[in-house]
Amino acid sequence: MTTETIEAPARPERPQRAYAALFRSPSGAVGLVIVAVLVVCAILAPYIAPHDPLVMAAGPRLEPPSLAHWMGTDQFGRDVLSRIIYGSRLTLMIGTIAVGISLSAGLLLGLVAGYASGWTERVLMRIVDVLFSFTEIVIALACIAILGVGLVNAMIAIGIASIPFYARVTHSIVLVEKNKPYFESAVAAGASHARLIFLHLLPNVIPTLIVIGTLGVSTAVLAAAGLSFLGLGAQPPQPEWGFMLSSSRDLISRAPWMMIFPGLAIAITVLGFNLLGDGVREVLDPRQRAR
Amino acid sequence: MSETLLEVRNLTVSFGRGAGRNVAVNGLSYELARGETLAIVGESGSGKSVSSLALLGLLPRQGAQVEGGQALFNGRDLLTLSDTERRKIRGDRIAMIFQEPMTSLTPVLRIGLQMTEALVEHKGMRQREADEKAREMLRLVELDDPPRRMRQFPHELSGGMRQRVMIAMAMALEPDILIADEPTTALDVTVQAQILDLMRGLKDSFGTAILLITHDMGVVAEMADRVVVMNHGVKVEEGEATALFAEPQAAYTRRLLAAVPRLGALSQSDAPRQVVEAGAPVGKTVLRADGLCKTFAGRGGLFSRGTATVAMSDVSFDLRAGETLALVGESGSGKSTSGRAVLRLIEVDEGQIDLEGTDLRRLGGAALRRARRGMQMVFQDPFASLNPRMNVGRLVAEPMTIHGIARGRDLEDRVVELLERVGLEADHTRRFPHEFSGGQRQRLCIARALGVGPKVIVADEPTSALDVSVQAQVLELMLELQQSLGLAYLFISHDMAVVEEMSHRVAVMREGRIVESGPRRAVLNNPRHPYTSALLAAVPKPDPTAVRGKIPPLDLEKLPMGPLSEVEPGHWVAT
Amino acid sequence: MLRFIAQRLVAALITIWVATIAVTLLIHLVPGDPVRIMYSGFQTTPEQIEEIRTRLGLDQPVWRQYLMYMGRVLQGDLGHSIVGDQPVLTTLLQRFPATLLLTIASLFIAVVVGGSLGFFAAYRRGTVWDFGAMTLAIVGVSMPHFWLGLILLFIFSLSLGWLPVGGSGFMNLILPAMTLGLANAAILARLTRSAMIDIFDQDFVRTAQAKGLPQTLVLYRHALRSGLVPIVAMLGLQFAYLMGGAIVVENVFAWNGVGRLAIQAVFARDYPLIQGFILFFATVVALASVIIDVTYALLDPRIRYGK
Repeated sequence: MTTETIEAPARPERPQRAYAALFRSPSGAVGLVIVAVLVVCAILAPYIAPHDPLVMAAGPRLEPPSLAHWMGTDQFGRDVLSRIIYGSRLTLMIGTIAVGISLSAGLLLGLVAGYASGWTERVLMRIVDVLFSFTEIVIALACIAILGVGLVNAMIAIGIASIPFYARVTHSIVLVEKNKPYFESAVAAGASHARLIFLHLLPNVIPTLIVIGTLGVSTAVLAAAGLSFLGLGAQPPQPEWGFMLSSSRDLISRAPWMMIFPGLAIAITVLGFNLLGDGVREVLDPRQRAR
Repeated sequence: MSETLLEVRNLTVSFGRGAGRNVAVNGLSYELARGETLAIVGESGSGKSVSSLALLGLLPRQGAQVEGGQALFNGRDLLTLSDTERRKIRGDRIAMIFQEPMTSLTPVLRIGLQMTEALVEHKGMRQREADEKAREMLRLVELDDPPRRMRQFPHELSGGMRQRVMIAMAMALEPDILIADEPTTALDVTVQAQILDLMRGLKDSFGTAILLITHDMGVVAEMADRVVVMNHGVKVEEGEATALFAEPQAAYTRRLLAAVPRLGALSQSDAPRQVVEAGAPVGKTVLRADGLCKTFAGRGGLFSRGTATVAMSDVSFDLRAGETLALVGESGSGKSTSGRAVLRLIEVDEGQIDLEGTDLRRLGGAALRRARRGMQMVFQDPFASLNPRMNVGRLVAEPMTIHGIARGRDLEDRVVELLERVGLEADHTRRFPHEFSGGQRQRLCIARALGVGPKVIVADEPTSALDVSVQAQVLELMLELQQSLGLAYLFISHDMAVVEEMSHRVAVMREGRIVESGPRRAVLNNPRHPYTSALLAAVPKPDPTAVRGKIPPLDLEKLPMGPLSEVEPGHWVAT
Repeated sequence: MLRFIAQRLVAALITIWVATIAVTLLIHLVPGDPVRIMYSGFQTTPEQIEEIRTRLGLDQPVWRQYLMYMGRVLQGDLGHSIVGDQPVLTTLLQRFPATLLLTIASLFIAVVVGGSLGFFAAYRRGTVWDFGAMTLAIVGVSMPHFWLGLILLFIFSLSLGWLPVGGSGFMNLILPAMTLGLANAAILARLTRSAMIDIFDQDFVRTAQAKGLPQTLVLYRHALRSGLVPIVAMLGLQFAYLMGGAIVVENVFAWNGVGRLAIQAVFARDYPLIQGFILFFATVVALASVIIDVTYALLDPRIRYGK
């Protein structure tokens, strides 16, 4: 009956940049491999680590990398490679739990503010903005000042410190989605609050948050390592990478491997989550390619 | 025939490479003579814009490539010139203006600098000479107080004024060719008429040839000497404008012309065309809006308030079953606000909204949601009005699920029935919105709205985002549904010809007020308000033989904007 | 424009005000007795503890404490540090110039290196150059500040012996500023690239090209002038990041700024000093963002000549 032979399929006048796929999609793959290796390391640490990470004098002290100790030993004779492998457990735990805390609280705040609008929104977001401008490290320091030094406290501190960021991101996505006609169309259809939030807003907000959360793990890992480096996070003898770096400080000229390998581990982990986040973004939103 | 200025031969442009290669323009050839206006007309995806950008080397830097062909200008092939040589021609011998005047001027630079830089570059003028020339051009495009305009920044000018600046800027170098890419598409119809007048005048006094790229047959008829019709990157027809409109040869051109709504086609009838035998007659009043007022507070922070804008002021109308009331107006007239207000998608400050005897403004929460069953909406942008993460089955079913109309097997059957009712297929249910074209999506929106058996559908510019041939099909569907189901439409549109085709009654809005309302035939054939007359006069006619004089300027300050008074039964005009 | 500045100033004042509430609450959120925790390293009698509690006003209701704290803050009194037993404000002001110097030097490096890298990548979008620049940037973003610092220290101070290990002279500034600057240059490169790509896709850049202007004019007059607006707008946040990053970097290089002081304070549970630091930090960041917002407004005629 009704034919649409004349109409062209929805094709933009400016076409997608095809080169972009080639340019960026390998990043997602590389990121995925790095993260997968990390997860495997963390799970199988007892089986793949050549030595116990905590046993002192597993070898001679401050031995340079050798066949027996691929990454050398530290000042107590502990095997650096084993410590790094076990360290991946701490790193992944801190990264994911901290993001879990900030993402869930931020999502709730941003969603409530964005959906409620009016005074609730203004007041909530103004507070969030102010906290955001304090920067994450200062909020984390304040939390540690309250809770005291320690790895778990550092993790909680990082989680709390990033809430304003996630709240802002969620809020801005909610605003964008809420102003799209499909949302109004659901309102006009008589949809209830629950339906609007859970069937219309959330499914459109969550993909972006997955991207932000993946990228967020890298920020959290960096922050945790930083706090441990400052001595505010992990405590001896925990095999935490940032803490390992800080104990290498006085030995840099004598044992540079103690500084190089933990740093490399942090950088590669962070890079992995960054690349994975970019990759996921690409998959979820082709328009963001080459950004 | 006079001297040929530009000769395009076998131009082929493509995007992407390898498997993703997509030919946008395929073997296009045409000639442009000195002083003539050649219109390249086509729907979206026809390659009309790409072909002209390719001439000037302005294609997006990545992805697009000219695969073959020649474009001879003064004996030189534009497509093989070096960047430097082409740059010397660009802006000097061949100038270009674009569709979006709001974004086509650099926001951080003064108008004066932007107008003079090409003069300094190509003509080697000193800044003072260039300034003098720019002022003279601004005077020619009828902008007041040129010295002040030169010091202003783009954001201080309206869209129409910016397009005048663009034209002045392009014409200042007295180019041989002006390429105008949809120069009036983003403008209101009255402004469009002024800009078209201006372009015609300048063309005659400068002897410039115009390459006009447009989708609008009315603009073509008004401007063009000759026409090239494109479809899917291929030229389907070329000819003198009068001949082409009178006797189109290609089937595509014939379909295209047939789909163009023509103002005046229904001037002898009170109702829209009957597309259903024994359709539902116009019945009793179902919706009544009374004295609606809405003022938007300006954007501001916690401690500041922006300037307020009045979106609606004392807007009243009623709507009967089986009837279409068109709300007509230009951008900022408050017509969309009114449509949203009756659905309570925005809250009005004052007034009553009465749907079949229920005062909607008194309802809250669950009662309001139930009442929404009686009234549904179809939006302008079919690409954004469907939740991208729901499949078609769920989208169409959603309103019925909400109101508990059907479930399970019964619901599935109803969805299929609705899809078929709007001309889609049953097996579309598992697909997602992005797999559909604009027209199909608009059908989906209509199917979604129909599911709950509404009495009233508010249609906010339902076809403005669609190509003209698709528009005709969607309008046809809407007429058919109205006449078989007795639906009442509140039809919001800026397009007078579409309004004539669709409506029984018309309300013309301007700056948040209704300035004239009444039976469509009375208002369109015998407008009593000067603004309505101006709107009607500004509509370009898709007929090259109809000569339109210069449109008399409208004195906006002196338009009557007071309360309505009845000039003949049912016909009200602002005083 | 004046109204815009006023709005920004009000926003800054709100930030500072919220900070005063936050620091008052901070001490109350401490599990256990803050006074005992603070003085756990000292020999104290229960009477001394009670006397300190009264002196700090911690025996009063919270709102009372807040009013007292506000009253003192308005007079420029941020309390006494426990460890150094000095007025907190004096200590902070003594250390602040070093931090400011480090932050500004790094901001300069970040803007020059990151800005040009991002601009270049955007201009060469999709080429090998773009890919190279962005790979460099993502590696840079992933590098921990402190590790980069240690590596630079290892190479330039310990191995080559070109630069001193720690201290407070100009030569000593080079490494910390490079560390902090380069780490943020990577972030800025990514932001600049995406801002400039947005600009290059704008209609007005095409208009400028259609006028036949030379490429340099299109790039610098039209694209870069417009791109500066969003890029400068990002610098407010960058400044805050740099101030935060300085806390870590100061500790790597023993650079005697407020960041180093803050870490010492957290270790010592020196609450008056921690409170003072947070308030001070919030104030500096708020004022810096006012300055940057005003700069941004000057670049954007829509704000400069707006109402």
